[in-house]
Amino acid sequence: MSKPKVAIFDFACCEGCQLQIVNMEEEILDLLELVEPVEWREAMSDKSENYDIAIVEGAITRPEDEERLKKIRERAKVLIALGACATHGGINKLKNNFPEGEPERYVYGDAAGMPHLASGRVKAVDEVVPVDVKVFGCPIDNREFAAIVKSLVMGQKPFIPNYSVCVECKMKGNVCRYEYGEICLGPVIRAGCDARCPSKGAACYGCRGFVDDPNVNAAFDVMEKYGKTVEDLRSKLELFGSGQEYSDGKNG
Amino acid sequence: MIKIVGKDALETWVDEVIARMRTYGVQAKGDHFSFESLRRAADLRLDYDVTILPPKKYLQPPRETLLRFSGAVEYESVFDEDPFVIFGIHPYDLEAILQMDAIFEKDQRDEHYLRRRSKAVLVACDVETVSENVFAGCMGTAYLESGFDILITKIDGGDYVVDIQTDAGRSIADSLKSAKDANKKALAARREVWNKNKARLRRHKLEVPLEELPALLEAGYEHPIWEERAQRCYSCGSCNLVCPTCYCFDVRDDVGWDLKHGVRARVWDGCLLAGFAEVAGGHNFRRNRADRYRHRYYRKGKYLPEMIGKTACVGCGRCITACTAKIANPVEVYNALLEEKDDH
Ligand code: SF4
Ligand code: SF4
Ligand code: SF4
Ligand code: SF4
Ligand code: SF4
Repeated sequence: MSKPKVAIFDFACCEGCQLQIVNMEEEILDLLELVEPVEWREAMSDKSENYDIAIVEGAITRPEDEERLKKIRERAKVLIALGACATHGGINKLKNNFPEGEPERYVYGDAAGMPHLASGRVKAVDEVVPVDVKVFGCPIDNREFAAIVKSLVMGQKPFIPNYSVCVECKMKGNVCRYEYGEICLGPVIRAGCDARCPSKGAACYGCRGFVDDPNVNAAFDVMEKYGKTVEDLRSKLELFGSGQEYSDGKNG
Repeated sequence: MIKIVGKDALETWVDEVIARMRTYGVQAKGDHFSFESLRRAADLRLDYDVTILPPKKYLQPPRETLLRFSGAVEYESVFDEDPFVIFGIHPYDLEAILQMDAIFEKDQRDEHYLRRRSKAVLVACDVETVSENVFAGCMGTAYLESGFDILITKIDGGDYVVDIQTDAGRSIADSLKSAKDANKKALAARREVWNKNKARLRRHKLEVPLEELPALLEAGYEHPIWEERAQRCYSCGSCNLVCPTCYCFDVRDDVGWDLKHGVRARVWDGCLLAGFAEVAGGHNFRRNRADRYRHRYYRKGKYLPEMIGKTACVGCGRCITACTAKIANPVEVYNALLEEKDDH
């Protein structure tokens, strides 16, 4: 079997997720036994027109990016969205909460009108093209990434948890942040990070996005039990949750 | 044999055990308590209220390797048969372990659990401090007179009655053997601790006699409480994962970079989780949140009692604390079923 050809592309992001791949260190050699990178700006100078797996990092913010992404999609058999920016728009999406142009004016002042700064509403990759596999997290977890690549090469469906961060948090024997009166998004956020934040004594801020059927309305109900308001919760949900949809919790 | 020792002699003995065996015991973890590897007797906190996780984490670990495979068909089972001691198991948690034993022995014997269990020496201790949500007094688990290898009870005056009941217990008794035998007075003092605990471990009061629980549940299948509470349920599974009598697991493979060698492990699962009842083909026979919510109470109060003859909630109260939505209190649910019945 010839090795699948892999190309990695980045859009609006900090490239921290690619860095996680580079950080695999010796395992990166094992990874290269399985796949052949043909285009990867962060690590090589080659470019390619032909690949089996396209890994897309970053959010989509400009019309020309949408065109580029569509071309990538056409050429890829499998498209992976890498990291919160790609899977949900990530923190970039905070921008969508403001009137168009205002964030640019706030950040760049008088220079906001420069053509290279022009960008529109922020979109996750799957708002532009179909995505086959999402690697969640800001940044991604490189062990999870490795497991996903192995599954894909074996032609299997990768295991991606559809249960909440609380599951991993409990397995690690952490004390719940709610016992300290903190709002933790763990109950509605998808596990897979090994409860990274609560295990270090911080509440989950939701970088992996919601589970498939999050009962967010329950969270609003629960706030008053903790002396918190709906606004407290809303502001927590905003960092990574802007524009994410959720059900009313009546089903599933 | 039943001995009586002071605190120093107790610690000397615990240190002897630590010196020769893998030892776990209850210790402070921040402002909570947890079963952890025990390095010295002075760290053991028999005065704890409740631990974050029950001791089941050593008998059915959160993630446990079942086998190593080296291809599609070749594999080698993995068993953990290294002896170990757990110090400081409260009676309700001990009862939960006894129930797990019964379940894993039934029908298809679970060798991974049973072999590890056969090497475990269980040192129980009676409750000194009442935790926030415990209701063991209502569940018949405030104290146990047997089932442990060794039981430690702190009696009035500060001495410890140490009851060594099994061969496994005697095998680690070491210097305890030469301690004074507990006299009648000491045993009466222990009985007093038991009676007191039975009365005070009732932070929540179950109004339903345990033997009536299965019938009450049988009649309450369509009760509105299931839907009402499920509206606020996250399906986060915390109530399952902290429960000493929940033993469900999921099996996952972890393959190496050669895509050939790897391990098959089982990891904790819970019936409240959305994916739990999913079977091959993606069919989920408890897809509905309320069905899953209800299932847990049926399991504890009806299905397991029918299977092993005991209520599968031991009243530890951990699920009550763990549920961030504050809807997982079994006592509230069972009492609510009763109220409704009386109204009719
Ligand atoms: S998801 Fe986070 S780490 Fe990854 S590229 Fe976006 S901002 Fe950076
Ligand atoms: S700390 Fe957060 S993730 Fe952990 S159990 Fe509590 S709510 Fe869930
Ligand atoms: S705990 Fe929450 S915020 Fe932290 S890494 Fe996991 S999903 Fe992201
Ligand atoms: S159902 Fe709750 S109170 Fe009962 S044994 Fe389980 S965790 Fe403890
Ligand atoms: S802990 Fe509470 S919210 Fe989470 S699954 Fe259990 S009942 Fe539902």
